[in-house]
Amino acid sequence: MSDISLNARGGRRKGSLLEYVVIGVIVAIIPLFSIFIQGFATLGNLRVIASNSAALVILSCGMGMVIISRGLDLSLVAAMVAGATIFAVLINAGCGAPVVVALTLLAVVAIGFANGWLIAYVEIPAMLATLASAMAITGLFRFGVLRGEFLLLLPKTNPAVVFFSHDILPGLTAPAALMIATFVLTWILLRFTTLGRITYAMGDNFQAARLTGLPVRRATLLIYIYAALTALLAGLVTSASSGTVDFRTVTNGSLLFEVILVVVLGGIPLRGGRGGMRNIFVGAALIAVLRNGMTLFDLTTQTQAVLTGLVLIVAIVTDNYFNPRDTETDTVGDL
Amino acid sequence: MSTMKNSLLKAVTGLTICASLALGSFAAKADGNIAGKKVIFVPIAMGITLTEAWAKRMKEHAAIYGYNVDVRDAAFNSGAMSELLAKAISEKPDVLVVHNPTVQLLARQIKQAESQGIKVLQLNLQSNQPSTAFVGANWERIGREIAEDIVKACGAGSGKSGEVAIIPGQLTAADSVIMNEAAFKVFNAHPEIKVVSNQASDWEPEKARQITATVIQQHPNLCAIFGHWDVHTMGAGKAVKDAGLEDKIIVYATGGGDDKTCQAVEDKILDRVWSYDADGQGRDAGTMVDVLLQGGAAADHSMLKIESPMKIIKLGPTYSKELCFKL
Repeated sequence: MSDISLNARGGRRKGSLLEYVVIGVIVAIIPLFSIFIQGFATLGNLRVIASNSAALVILSCGMGMVIISRGLDLSLVAAMVAGATIFAVLINAGCGAPVVVALTLLAVVAIGFANGWLIAYVEIPAMLATLASAMAITGLFRFGVLRGEFLLLLPKTNPAVVFFSHDILPGLTAPAALMIATFVLTWILLRFTTLGRITYAMGDNFQAARLTGLPVRRATLLIYIYAALTALLAGLVTSASSGTVDFRTVTNGSLLFEVILVVVLGGIPLRGGRGGMRNIFVGAALIAVLRNGMTLFDLTTQTQAVLTGLVLIVAIVTDNYFNPRDTETDTVGDL
Repeated sequence: MSTMKNSLLKAVTGLTICASLALGSFAAKADGNIAGKKVIFVPIAMGITLTEAWAKRMKEHAAIYGYNVDVRDAAFNSGAMSELLAKAISEKPDVLVVHNPTVQLLARQIKQAESQGIKVLQLNLQSNQPSTAFVGANWERIGREIAEDIVKACGAGSGKSGEVAIIPGQLTAADSVIMNEAAFKVFNAHPEIKVVSNQASDWEPEKARQITATVIQQHPNLCAIFGHWDVHTMGAGKAVKDAGLEDKIIVYATGGGDDKTCQAVEDKILDRVWSYDADGQGRDAGTMVDVLLQGGAAADHSMLKIESPMKIIKLGPTYSKELCFKL
């Protein structure tokens, strides 16, 4: 348990070297961007960075927790759009806020539960289970719920839509506030709760965690339900901000890629058991600053994708170098 | 009496035979020679009003003449689209209707289909490869007209900054390529116009919103946004509205002009939309398919073309909800 506590306190083992590399890159590019990109170093731009990164950070909190437990949730973006779709359909049908919230929560919890059950009880590898559920969710919602539609427009005057897209306090948008709230909640979950300790134990050595009697199956269920809930929140923030629910967010695939990028870049190894919220903050900061800088620099979307892909490759190679697989970590279920 | 009966019977029988023959010949004429023929439509994706309107109108034409229109939905997946088109070509339809996502992606397959005697109608988005027919918007004209309008609103003598942001769908998409070329030709003749951003949104409203929110911060005096599709440009318009700049920045877009576009104009999410009227395009496409199935083709084997008439949707004395269609 002392090992688990050590990890829960921030995982200060050799894996954190990647985190310092990324922090170094951020420290280097911020002055460069400030000097060479007009409008980068302004308070307004900082607010834009926070607002534009809200969904990414919220999703990364869910994904981070899953990855720390040595899992992977490829259905996160599908669940995000599915949650937003239910929300939009019910709002467009004129349902009251309590009904909308209750039904949307229920549906998303069901998605998380299904993922957790497939992984914990049917013992399907997380990557395959969540890939299959992502495809099933997308197909079901596109053809069963939306009858082939790709886009749903949200009524911009609806109080719920207004709440998720406007300022809660002067200068603090609802997306940014919800991002901070999710970040703090995930930190509390990982740092101070039994579930958090079990999450680290599962990621560190799943078999050992199970043999010592930890309720790893129930913990897996809760972890995937929590991830689905973060997906719902991200979906509500995104759809309210743009006024649309767009299924191409799932089919294009770039958001899921960015979420994994944030977690890995921040220093949470894909084999789990290490890392924490600081790592997610570091990873998200790099991606958000890079994305913002590249947009301000007027780089094309394709160039941005190439550069982001290069960053991911470098991060994974670096991660592999600092965290080589060995007999301790290279166990069943490893990715 | 019996003679009379026989005569009457003969007359009735004769009339019946004549009527049957006449009806038969009419049926053959009414169907032309196109009843039972096969048309396959491969759109970039169904589930958007643009393609739904086209499919609906083409099916109406098919119902009149008794031919079949089969829709194969690529669901925004370029790889799937090439496979669907290959499968469609192998089925040897009489006419193939394609909706090109980029100028290059389906060029080889369009050439292959034409070489096998399949007439290819390109709908709204044209490939580099010419084919029997094209029905759709004149993207050069839209790009040029919007750019000229931007020059009037933001250029010399307007008192505005002249800063313009362009949000294409994809930089290699046929419409984006042609509109950008036409627009830059106009802008290059007006050095006071500065294109401060030209970043594709992948047709996604949320990406367009994020790009716009960032660009507005960098260029607070931005004068106009030129979005290449009304659907994703609504995300850009939302960012403008959230920043409280809807009276300062003019949001231009182009699109099929359904009722949601008119609603966006009324909500000041979009300001000026060049609509190519997808509903009318569907009818034009249906007519073109009828003609192609009846053997119509240009005498010199050049491309038959129907250019969609434009409607400009903006608030003011010319505005009416009737400018938009509802499926």
